[in-house]
Amino acid sequence: MLIKRAAGQASRRRLAAAWQGMSSGGLDRRGFLRQAGLGGAGLASLGALSGRAVRAEEQVGGRMGALDALAPVQRIKNVCTHCSVGCTVIAEVQNGIWVGQEPAWESPINRGTHCAKGASVRELVHGDRRLKYPMKLVGGEWRRLSWDQALDETGAKLMDIRARSGPESVFWLGSAKFTNEAAYLFRKLGAFWGTNNTDHQARICHSTTVAGVANTWGYGAMTNSYNDIRNARTIIIMGGNPAEAHPIAMQHVLTGREMNRANMVVIDPRFTRTAVHAHEYVRIRPGTDIPVVWGMLWHILQNGWEDREFIRQRVYGFEEIRTEVTKWPPEEVERVSGVPGEQLKRIAQMFATQKPATLVWCMGATQKTVGTANVRAYSILCLATGNVGSAGTGANIFRGHTNVQGATDMGLDISTLPGYYGLDESAWRHWARVWEVDYAWLRDRFASERLMQTPGIPSTRWFDAVLLPKDQIEQPDRFKGMVVFGHGGNTVTRMPEMVKGLEALELLVVADPHPTTYAQVSNRRDNTYLLPICTNFETVGSRTASNRSLQWGEKIVEPLFESRNDYDAMYALTRRLGFADEMFRNIAVHDGAVVVEDILREMNRGLWSLGYTGQSPERLRAHMLHQQHFDVTTLRAGPDAPEEVRGDYYGLPWPCWGTPEMRHPGCGILYDTSLHVKEGGGVFRARFGVERNGETLLAEGSWSKGSEIQDGYPEFTVAVLKRLGWFDELSAHEKESIARVGGDDIDRVSWSIDLSGGIQRVVMEHGCVPHGNGKARAVAWNLPDPVPMHREPIYTPRTDLIPTLDQFAAMASTNKAPPGTYPTLPDRRGYRMPHLGLSVQMRSHQVAKEFPIILTSGRLVEYEGGGEETRSNRWLAELQQEMFVEVNPDDAAARGIRNGGWVWVLGPESSARVRVKALVTERVGRGVAFMPFHFGGWFQGEDRRRFYPPGTDPIVLGESVNAVTTYGYDPVTFMQETKVTLCQIRSA
Amino acid sequence: MARMKFLCDADRCIECNACVTACKNEHEVPWGINRRRVVTINDGKPGERSISMACMHCTDAPCAAVCPVSCFYGTVDGLVLHDKDLCIGCGYCFYACPFGAPQYPRVGNFGGRGKMDKCTYCAGGPQQDNTAVEYIQYGANRLAEGKLPLCAEMCSTKALLAGDGDIIAGIYKERVQRRGFGSGAWGWRTAYGETITA
Amino acid sequence: MMRDRSEEKPARRGLLGAAGVAIGLAAAPAAGFRADGGTGGLPPEKENEAAKRAPRYRETDHVRAFYRTNSY
Repeated sequence: MLIKRAAGQASRRRLAAAWQGMSSGGLDRRGFLRQAGLGGAGLASLGALSGRAVRAEEQVGGRMGALDALAPVQRIKNVCTHCSVGCTVIAEVQNGIWVGQEPAWESPINRGTHCAKGASVRELVHGDRRLKYPMKLVGGEWRRLSWDQALDETGAKLMDIRARSGPESVFWLGSAKFTNEAAYLFRKLGAFWGTNNTDHQARICHSTTVAGVANTWGYGAMTNSYNDIRNARTIIIMGGNPAEAHPIAMQHVLTGREMNRANMVVIDPRFTRTAVHAHEYVRIRPGTDIPVVWGMLWHILQNGWEDREFIRQRVYGFEEIRTEVTKWPPEEVERVSGVPGEQLKRIAQMFATQKPATLVWCMGATQKTVGTANVRAYSILCLATGNVGSAGTGANIFRGHTNVQGATDMGLDISTLPGYYGLDESAWRHWARVWEVDYAWLRDRFASERLMQTPGIPSTRWFDAVLLPKDQIEQPDRFKGMVVFGHGGNTVTRMPEMVKGLEALELLVVADPHPTTYAQVSNRRDNTYLLPICTNFETVGSRTASNRSLQWGEKIVEPLFESRNDYDAMYALTRRLGFADEMFRNIAVHDGAVVVEDILREMNRGLWSLGYTGQSPERLRAHMLHQQHFDVTTLRAGPDAPEEVRGDYYGLPWPCWGTPEMRHPGCGILYDTSLHVKEGGGVFRARFGVERNGETLLAEGSWSKGSEIQDGYPEFTVAVLKRLGWFDELSAHEKESIARVGGDDIDRVSWSIDLSGGIQRVVMEHGCVPHGNGKARAVAWNLPDPVPMHREPIYTPRTDLIPTLDQFAAMASTNKAPPGTYPTLPDRRGYRMPHLGLSVQMRSHQVAKEFPIILTSGRLVEYEGGGEETRSNRWLAELQQEMFVEVNPDDAAARGIRNGGWVWVLGPESSARVRVKALVTERVGRGVAFMPFHFGGWFQGEDRRRFYPPGTDPIVLGESVNAVTTYGYDPVTFMQETKVTLCQIRSA
Repeated sequence: MARMKFLCDADRCIECNACVTACKNEHEVPWGINRRRVVTINDGKPGERSISMACMHCTDAPCAAVCPVSCFYGTVDGLVLHDKDLCIGCGYCFYACPFGAPQYPRVGNFGGRGKMDKCTYCAGGPQQDNTAVEYIQYGANRLAEGKLPLCAEMCSTKALLAGDGDIIAGIYKERVQRRGFGSGAWGWRTAYGETITA
Repeated sequence: MMRDRSEEKPARRGLLGAAGVAIGLAAAPAAGFRADGGTGGLPPEKENEAAKRAPRYRETDHVRAFYRTNSY
């Protein structure tokens, strides 16, 4: 068995296998080292077999000739395409062939290092399992076709769907693997096609973080940075496993731990590889994060450890939190979560008093039916203890994919345009001005102005929009076609239903370096197209790391095989769809090749609301060139740095206000009042008005250094400038631009729609932050739970904590939860769809008897996301060859399950079941099982390798955990529940 | 003269396997051959620790002591390298090695072993430095390029140290002082017959 | 621009192009790498006893960067 987790045995076993001549894979195709003693006979084959020469031929599918003996070696910088840490990759390239990787000492983020994935990215590009040319399914057989034919056919079919069912019937699923420029282009494509049905992986990763955090203090992002954790004296990681998901982040965490002798606490249902390195590990029952946070806050408030001055100046509505927290004394917390009160008190005291303290979270917090509320509770814990807005503190939210932060910022989402402008008319008018198209023209692309302003259907529910009755979906017709760029098919819960949805689609287009799960998991026979897209190492563009830094990647090699980059593929498609000229009005295209820098410049001209305006391609390139000048802790370039980057924060972390010429340095830490706004200082965003119920929403007695307004203030508009007497500081040119935007009523032109940047420039001269100086909201009155409340998971084993069926019947009239129970929200609608809650939760009474084990899911270090590309990388695939389930020894013994044996994991919906290997371990508690989510290629016990296009099947296949995960969505974002459901496990 | 050593700081190692794939990437080592791997003890329990293991390039190397054809040789840098032209794939060195470093590719259908392969400290073998011949037989020769083993250079948490034994011992000592505790330099004594005072 | 030539010497990958191999290394084949390994079809000449044991380690800027980034 190659799961390799058993103590010290794996190595012996592998050696033993080699000893017996049973090497575990059949892939040593080069014969390298096989008979590496060089006899005379060996010599003849030497040239053909030499490692890198062979790779070279493979790299270009055999098109390259022999190496040029005198070719120089180029070192080219790009950024790892896996997680959000943003590690610099240095490629050595010779004759256009990627021959080696070297450590990037100069990167302040990774300082030369990589994890297993980053150290093997060269193989991602070279990988012989990539999709090499366009293909389509004809009667269940894969056929090769040309790009032109593939685009002509898909274009015609999309236009046909549009004619019959309207633009809303195509779902455009984009990617967190896109560069910023590609993400922006894809969202723009959706807008020009005439739909808001454009989404990407943020939906299933941190959508609840963005919603929760933005609703608390203004912006949905990590407040500090990975590097800044070096400053912390207390580090709590709750719902995250960076040792596997963000290994390079652990470099900073462990260094901080050592340098400051910082406290490190891990709160998680699973004793993770991160927990191994913590001083204290707290095991909780999955899905009880809010009771644990309120339990900590109970101790904090009880003992007066909160930061009263911070709360008074910068937090709105804290009294309501006090009231909620009184419901969570230690006994109740222990009853619900299983955490002893004494342990929680110790940790609460650390977090509140041994400052600076930072709270780190990841998908353990977000992928929940209470995801947004979880995130809000975490944020409130930071606010209550004054742990936001300074070095070493903060909500350090580790995002998932390489550019999930950037793709979210680009509005590749169903509920907003780029820059979180939303979807109302003023937002569309702003972007119409940036895009230089008529608002009326854009409006006419949509089925109606109402749909233009209505959020679309989320990626977690797309198949429901194919399968549900038409009258259940608030748009003209169901989904008929889907276009997927860079997105795995095994990433959504309820896969058996997803597969039915796939089979019901008229058209499926997958554009990706790999065929992905979509290609093989269903029994589609026709109208399925695969378009080979190159990796981001084969093109240029910027990506935003979790800490909001933008990094520009250069092209390492030309796209391999017949693959094309995202930009060119999108351009070619829009040509067929008839709006290429409008969409690329300000973006140059030479002979089908899109000028990527032009896309970034267009973004710079429009993304005022979150400060993506100062990061010109030239500045980003200068940062990559001068990486060595940025400090590893502060990320700031010192006085000795070259002029073009001096004083900047690395990667110009947004907000980087104003135009590039204004040279704003970016913000290393958000909401940091100890710095001048022009030095990266900030305040909480005044986003929610100025007053509510007679109480001010603006900061009181707190402002960023050097502010001329020494109190809270609203966001800046022309009217505000006039009142302050600052209006005439605008230049004639800026006034002219503002007049064009404002028309008859220039007073309403604000900092976020002023295309000249003049308002931002003037207010910064006065030391003010363009978005106003508000309070963070402890109470977010626009959310279903304005104060975060514990609600049991949809499928819970603790049926004593949800209403009985009788109580449920009674709740229909009273709508009040019986004492001591924590029901989920009632059934409702959202995002054009029905959204079931309590009615499904009531199934738990039955389900918990037959499916008594809590199932949770998460990451492995070797793989990423749906896993298709990493499972196709033989250096990684060798390390994790089988899908498995972690089972506690007690649960295993009760079921006669032995370590390494095959088991069936059964789910409570759709008669779902998966066949996997058992890994019996105390890593999971009693009654909890864990499965990684990177596997695919098997479905419900069937190996579907033969359904891949020949030669593109990943090396390692396995069952997907999402084949057994179940219903359950966050009410705010429709985030899916992947962390808590129920299952049964049986020996197979 | 500098003495090359490896030191894995078990308080830093997170079992991310970067060292393993970096090695594969640098030397194009085929499937089934692992010059370096990560071993985890007490997996999933309190006290879990991981250590990245490869050839430790012992001072008094047991592999060399038992080799019937004397294919091993020590270098001035303190490395233990071997000559694959001499190796007969007998497997004695595997029995002798305390670290499980030697690897044997399969060569036929009847369990025949190929020439032994192991970590070279990214220093190649007895072929001319950085020739294609050396690359095929032993992999890259980073040491001759003025670099260190890529596994250590790319280690995610800077747990795996390589280079001049005195310098890396100094780095480790500083870490132990900062932390206020140390789990010891695992394998150090077995390989190099001395202690690290930390 | 991010494309700069290798700062020190192309060394190993320079073997694939002979350019910088001569620096510091007597062993470099002047003819560079060809399909037959540069040996003209003859068995390659191996290092002698002294050469194969000779020290290769040098404290270059690259190595110093490794030590520096491993220290606090």
